[in-house]
Amino acid sequence: MALWTLFGLASGKATTAWPRAGGDSGQDGVLGMPRYNPAACREGCAECAAVCPTHAIELHEGRVAVDYGRCVVCQLCTEACPANAMTPSEDWAFGVRDRQDLLWSETGASSAAQAASDRKAFRRSLHIRHVDAGSCNGCESELQALNNPFYNLHRLGMFFTASPRFADLLLVTGPVTHAMREPLKAAYEAMAEPRWVMAVGTCAVSGGISAGNYASGTGLEGVLPVDLYLPGCPPNPAAIMEALLMFLDRAPQRVRGGRIHG
Amino acid sequence: MIGTQARTLAPDELQPAAQDLLAAGGRVRFAYAWSPDGVVEVRYIASIPDRRVFESWVVKGFRELPSLAAVFPSIGWYEREMMDVNGLRFTDHPEPYPLVLKDSGEELVNAIPAATGRPRLPKIDAVDVQQLPFGPIRADVLESAEFTFVYVGEHIIHYQPRLFFKHRGMETCFEGADPGRAVVTAERVSAVGSVAHALSYCEAVERAADCAIPARARAVRVLLAEMERIYNHLHYLGHLSHTTTLKVGEAQGKLLEEKAKQLNARLTGSRFLRSLLAPGGLRRDLDPGRWLGDALEDLREEFTTYVEKLENSESHLDRLITTGLLTQKVAFDQGATGPVARASGIDRDLRRDHPYAHYDGLPLTTPTFEDGDAYARERVRMAEVEASFVLCQRILLLLEPGPVRVECKPAPLAEGLGWTEGPRGSVYYAVHVGGDGRLARVKVKSPSFSNWRAFPFTVHDSNMMDYAINEASFGLTIAGCDR
Amino acid sequence: MADALLLVAAALWLAAAVLSLGGVPNLGRLALAAGATAGVAAAVAGLPNGSETVTLPGRLTAEVVDFRIAPQGLWLMGFGLVPAIFATLLAPPTTGVRRGWVFGVALSLLGALGVFGLQNGAGLLIAWEAMSLGGAVMILSDDLGPAGGRTVLFMLALLECGAVALVLAVALLGLHTGGLEFDQFLSAAPSLSQPLEIGLGILLIMGFGAKLGLLPFYEWFPGAYGSGSGASGAIMSGVVMNAAYFALARALMSWLPIAPQGAFPALSVLVIAVGTISAILTILYAFQQDDWRSLLSFSSAENASIAVAALGAAMLFRVERLNDLAGLAWTVALLHLAGHALAKGALFLAADGLRAATGSYHVAYAGAGRHWFFGVGALLAAMSLAAMPPTAGFASEWFVFQTVFQGFHLPYLVGRLTLALTGAGLALTAAVAFATFAKVVGLGVLSRNRVPSASIGRPYVASMGILGVLVLALGAGMPLWLRALDGATTELFGMQIAFRMRDGPLLVPLTAKFAFISPSLLVVVMPLLSLIPIALVVAASRRPIRRTPVWYGGLSVDRRRASTTALTFSNAMRTFYSFVYRPTAATERDADAGGYFVTKLSFEHDVAPIFGPLVFQPAVAFVQGLAARLRVLQSGQLNLYLSLIGLLLVLVLGLTLF
Repeated sequence: MALWTLFGLASGKATTAWPRAGGDSGQDGVLGMPRYNPAACREGCAECAAVCPTHAIELHEGRVAVDYGRCVVCQLCTEACPANAMTPSEDWAFGVRDRQDLLWSETGASSAAQAASDRKAFRRSLHIRHVDAGSCNGCESELQALNNPFYNLHRLGMFFTASPRFADLLLVTGPVTHAMREPLKAAYEAMAEPRWVMAVGTCAVSGGISAGNYASGTGLEGVLPVDLYLPGCPPNPAAIMEALLMFLDRAPQRVRGGRIHG
Repeated sequence: MIGTQARTLAPDELQPAAQDLLAAGGRVRFAYAWSPDGVVEVRYIASIPDRRVFESWVVKGFRELPSLAAVFPSIGWYEREMMDVNGLRFTDHPEPYPLVLKDSGEELVNAIPAATGRPRLPKIDAVDVQQLPFGPIRADVLESAEFTFVYVGEHIIHYQPRLFFKHRGMETCFEGADPGRAVVTAERVSAVGSVAHALSYCEAVERAADCAIPARARAVRVLLAEMERIYNHLHYLGHLSHTTTLKVGEAQGKLLEEKAKQLNARLTGSRFLRSLLAPGGLRRDLDPGRWLGDALEDLREEFTTYVEKLENSESHLDRLITTGLLTQKVAFDQGATGPVARASGIDRDLRRDHPYAHYDGLPLTTPTFEDGDAYARERVRMAEVEASFVLCQRILLLLEPGPVRVECKPAPLAEGLGWTEGPRGSVYYAVHVGGDGRLARVKVKSPSFSNWRAFPFTVHDSNMMDYAINEASFGLTIAGCDR
Repeated sequence: MADALLLVAAALWLAAAVLSLGGVPNLGRLALAAGATAGVAAAVAGLPNGSETVTLPGRLTAEVVDFRIAPQGLWLMGFGLVPAIFATLLAPPTTGVRRGWVFGVALSLLGALGVFGLQNGAGLLIAWEAMSLGGAVMILSDDLGPAGGRTVLFMLALLECGAVALVLAVALLGLHTGGLEFDQFLSAAPSLSQPLEIGLGILLIMGFGAKLGLLPFYEWFPGAYGSGSGASGAIMSGVVMNAAYFALARALMSWLPIAPQGAFPALSVLVIAVGTISAILTILYAFQQDDWRSLLSFSSAENASIAVAALGAAMLFRVERLNDLAGLAWTVALLHLAGHALAKGALFLAADGLRAATGSYHVAYAGAGRHWFFGVGALLAAMSLAAMPPTAGFASEWFVFQTVFQGFHLPYLVGRLTLALTGAGLALTAAVAFATFAKVVGLGVLSRNRVPSASIGRPYVASMGILGVLVLALGAGMPLWLRALDGATTELFGMQIAFRMRDGPLLVPLTAKFAFISPSLLVVVMPLLSLIPIALVVAASRRPIRRTPVWYGGLSVDRRRASTTALTFSNAMRTFYSFVYRPTAATERDADAGGYFVTKLSFEHDVAPIFGPLVFQPAVAFVQGLAARLRVLQSGQLNLYLSLIGLLLVLVLGLTLF
C-alpha cells in the first residue's frame, strides 16, 4: 500500500531513545511501589498492614516488614498511613536477581551481584518465550506494548519466540493456576539449556491478589527456579526493559533491600 | 436486590417465566448461586427491552433445577459453572460437562480444574480429518487457552475452544473482604477492563448502601470509562491490522494505544486507570487541566487520519469483509454483548438503556451495523472511539469543582447490582454483604464470558486463514472470562 | 528348452484350474505357483532369442495355430510372473483359499500365455477374453469391496467395448490379408492405406487400451481393483498388463504400415497424446485415493500409459527412419514395464499384508515400520515407482526422458513439438507419482504412531523383502539385464539396440556423450557416502542428550488424530486441480436445542471422475432410452407379435424370390 509506506516514512521515528541518556521512558506520572520511611512510622500503628490486600506489609515483633514482592501497587497503604511513612513514589523499576532484595531492609545490602558469565553470548540477542500462567492480562498488555513503535524491544536485541525450543528465557506472568501448572512445566522442560526463568508481575513473584486459593498458586516459587524477579501490578514496559537489561548485565541492579539506589 | 425488581420463583415456575421473558423480547443476562446460611439460592438477572430496571428471579432452597438452556442457550455456561463450583444439578442440560472445575462439589479446596487432559469433542464420524490442538501456550504473547480445530486443509469442520485454564477463583477473593477496599480486587479481574469492573463493583456497593455519589465523581467516572474504551479500541484496531498483516497499520494502531495509555498515566498515575475508583466516589481528586483536552484533541486528529487510511486499505478491508459472520439470531441466542453484538444488529448499550454514573443526559451514540462480519465490528469500534472522544471533551467542559467522595458503607445483609458498558461489552457485579458487614458473595459477569460462547459459531465451516482475523475482530479477553 | 518349460507351465495352470473346480484349491494354488516358476524359468532359458515355434495340435478357424513367444514377450512375461509366484503362494487375505480365485488366476495366466505366444488372430481373441474373464472371476471371488458385483460388471462392460474393437480390427485385417495368421498380417502391412491404418490404429488402441488403462478406460480400475485383493491386483498389474502391452506393441509396430517419410505421422502423435494424457490423469487420481488398491491400480494405469507414450515415440522415430532411436524408445518401454511389474506386485502384496494385520486397506498409519525387512522392501518398491535412484524405476524413467529429449533429431516441427509436450507431461506425472508414493509409504508403512502397531505375518515380510531386493537388483544390474534384450530389436528395426544402451557400468541413451547414469555404481557409492552422516550420528551420541516430547502448546496430544492423514496430504492438490477433480465435501451436524449443542459430526469427501459423467453415463442413458423405445416390441399383445411374424415371412419370401 503506497499510502501506508509514505505515511510511515513521513511519520519519522517514534521510538524513544530510552534507556539511553536523554530518552523518554514514557512513564511520566506513573506511580510505582510505595516508599517506606521507617523514621516517620508511628509506634503501635499498623494501619498499612490492616489495609494491604496481599499481606505485603506485616507486623514482625512490633516492626513493620514490607515485602515488595507481594505489593500490587494499589496505593491503599499510602492513603491509610497517618504519618507519611508510606508515600507514593515513581519507583517502578524493581527488577532483582535475588528474591531477598525485594524485602525492605535497613542495611540495603544484597548478596554479591553475580555477573553470570554464561549470559555473555546472549547480551545482544535474547529470545524470550512468554507463558501466561493465569494473569489478569495487565502484564500481557504491557508485554505486548514492548513491540510497539515507542518501546521497540527489537532494537535491544530481544525477541519473543513462538516455541520454547527457540527460547533462552522463560518469562512467566500470573500466579500459576492449577490448570496451567503442567503446561508451564512442560514449557520449561521443552527449553534447551542454557535457560533462565523470569517472573514478571507480582502474581508470578508471590501469587498476587488471588494467591493460594483453590485455583491459584503462589507464584513461581517452588514451581520453577527463578533467575529474575520483577514485581509490579503490572510492571510497565520500561520496567520490563530495564529488568531484562539488568539480567543481561547491560544495566546495573539498582534495587537492594527493597529500595532503589542510584 | 437494589438495582433490580426481585421475584421469588419455585423451580417449576422457571420455564414458564423464561418463555414469557423470551416472548417479551427480553433475555436472562446471567445467573449465579450462593449459599447464605447453608441454604442454596440461585439468582437469575434478566432485562426487558425498554425498561431501565433489571428483573431478578430468586429460587431458594433447591439443589436441582430445570435447565433453561433450551430457551436461552446463553444460560448454558452459567448453569454449568453452577454445577461445577456450587454442586447444583440442572436437569435436561444439553451439555452437562465440566466447564470450570471437575470433582469439586461444595468443598472447593481440592478442586480439580476441568482444563486438564484432552478436550471433549462431539462424536466425529470422519475418517481422515486432522485435529489440531492449539494451546494453552500459544505462539506470541497471548493469554492461555486451548483451541481444538478439526480440519481438512484450509476448511475448519469443527472448532472447540477450551477456556478456564486461567481460572483464579477471583470471586472467592472477595469473600470476607471489606467492601470499601475490595475494589482493588475488582480492578484485577481483567486489567484492560479495570475501570469497567471497578465501576461496576462500586455501583453495586453504592446501590447496596443506597448512597448517592457527588456529581464531580460521577463525571470523572465517565471520563475514566471513556478513556479506557479509547485505549482498548485502539489496541484492537492495531491488533486487527496485525492479523491482516498491515504492518504500518499495526504499528500506528499500537502507537496510538501507547499514547492513550501514557495519557492515562499522566492523568491518574496508572496506565490502566487503577487506584482511583472506590465505593462512594473517587479515592482522590484529579486535575484534568487544559492539557488533557488538548492532548485528547491531538490524539483524536491522529486517530481520524488513521481511520481514513484503514478505510482506504483494500487488502485490509478485503480480509475483513464477510469474515467471521455472526448472524443476529446467533448473537441474540448466545448472549453476545458489546461491539460484537452491535455489529450484528443488536441495538443495546447499557449506557443508554440502563444509565449509570453521569451518562443520563449525555449525547450518546450507539453505532449499530447489520453485517455481523469483522468489518462491521471494526467499524463499530471506530465509531465508538469517535464518540468517546466527544464524550470526554463534553465531560471536561461540564466538570465543576466539588467533593469527590462520600461515606459509603453498606448495611449488613444488603445486596446490590452494578453494571457498566465496558470496552468489550456489559460488565455486571452482584454484591451480597454478609451479617458482619463484609462481603459474602460477589458475582462477576464479564463480557468476554458471553462473547466466547458466540465465537465458535462464526468459526465452524470457515477457513484457517480467516481464523486469526476473526478472533482479533472479536476482541476477547480470557482473564475476564475465566476469572 | 524354453518350449518345454512353457508347456510345463501351461499344464500346471490347467491342472490348477481343474483342481480348483474339483474342490482342492490349496493344491491348485501351489500348482499355480509352480507353473509361474516354470514360466520364469522359461523366460530365463529363452532369452535372448525367444522361444522356438511350436505348432499346436488342431485347427482354429480352419487354420494352423503356431505358438512362439518373441524375446520381448519372454522378457515381459518373466517379469510379470515373478510377483505372480508370490501372489499365488500367499493367496488373498480372505478366510481360506477360494476355489473361484484359483480358477480365475489359472484362467488369467493361461490367457496371458496365449496372448504372448499365439500367432493367430482368433487365438489371440480367445486368449484375450480368457484373461478378462479370469480377472473378473478373481475379483468376484475375493469379494473384498462394498459393491463387488457392480464394479466387476463395469469392468467387463468396458473390457467388452475393447473386445468389440479388437474383433473389428482383427476382422478387418483378416479381410485385408485373407487369413488370421500374424505372419500374414506382417507381410500384408505395407499395403494398408493410410485411412485404414489410422482406423485400425484407433481400434487397436481402444481394444488393448481397455485393459491397459488408457483414457477413457481407466475408470474401471479403482472400482474393480478396490473390490479385489492385493494378490489379484499383483497378477492383474503384472502379467496381465504386460501381456496387454505386448499385444498392443506388436499390433502397432508389426501389423500397421510405416507411414511414408515426410507424411504427417497422425497415428504416432495420437498414440503419444493418448499415452501422455492418460498418464497425467491417472496419476492425478491415484494421488487422491485413500485405499491401497485403488491408488496402486491408478498408478498401474499411469505406468502403462507411460509405456504407451514411449511406444508412440518409437513409432514416430520410425516414420522418420531414425531406427536406432525408435529401437531405443521401444526397448525403454519394456524396461519400464519390467520394473513396474516387480514393484507394483510388491506393493500390492504389502497391502495384503497390512490388511491381514489391521483389517483394512485404508492408507493410514499402521506402524508396520517395525518390521524393517517389510519396510525396506516396501520402500524400495515405492522408490522404484517414484523413479528414485538406484532402483529400476529410476533407470527406466530416466531412459524415457532421454528418449523424449532426443526429439530434436526429428526433422519436422510436428514431431519435435509433440515430444517436447510429452516431456513436460511426463515431468508432471513424475512429480505427482513421487508425491503419491511418499504418501503410500509414509502413511501406510512407516510410522510408529499406531498403538498397538500392526503385526505383519512372516510370509508377507519375507515376500516384501525379497521383491524389494529384486527391484534394487534390477536397477543396479541393468547393464547385465539388458543383455537379455540384445536380440529383441533386430526383427523390427534391423539393428541391435540394447547393447548400445550400456557402456560398462553406465547406462546411456545410445551414446555416452548425450547423458549417462549408473545405478550399478550408485548402489556402491550411496552406502559409502552414508558412512559420513552415520559417523556424525555416532560421534554425537557420545554426548548426553535430553529428550522431551514434541511441543504442542503444553498439553499431551493424541498424536494419531493430530497427524497427517491420506486426505489432508492430498487435499492441497485437490483444491489446486479442482477443475479436474471437481471435489465434493459435505458436513452434517447432529445438534439439539436450536442447533447450538452439536453432538455428532459427519464429514464426507470425494473426487468426481471425468469420463463417467462425460462419456459413460450419456452412453448408458442413450442405450436405456433406446431400450425403452424398443420395449414396445415386448408389449405382450398377441396381435403385435402375429403381425411381426407376418412381416418377417414377407421379408423372407421377398429375399428368396429376388
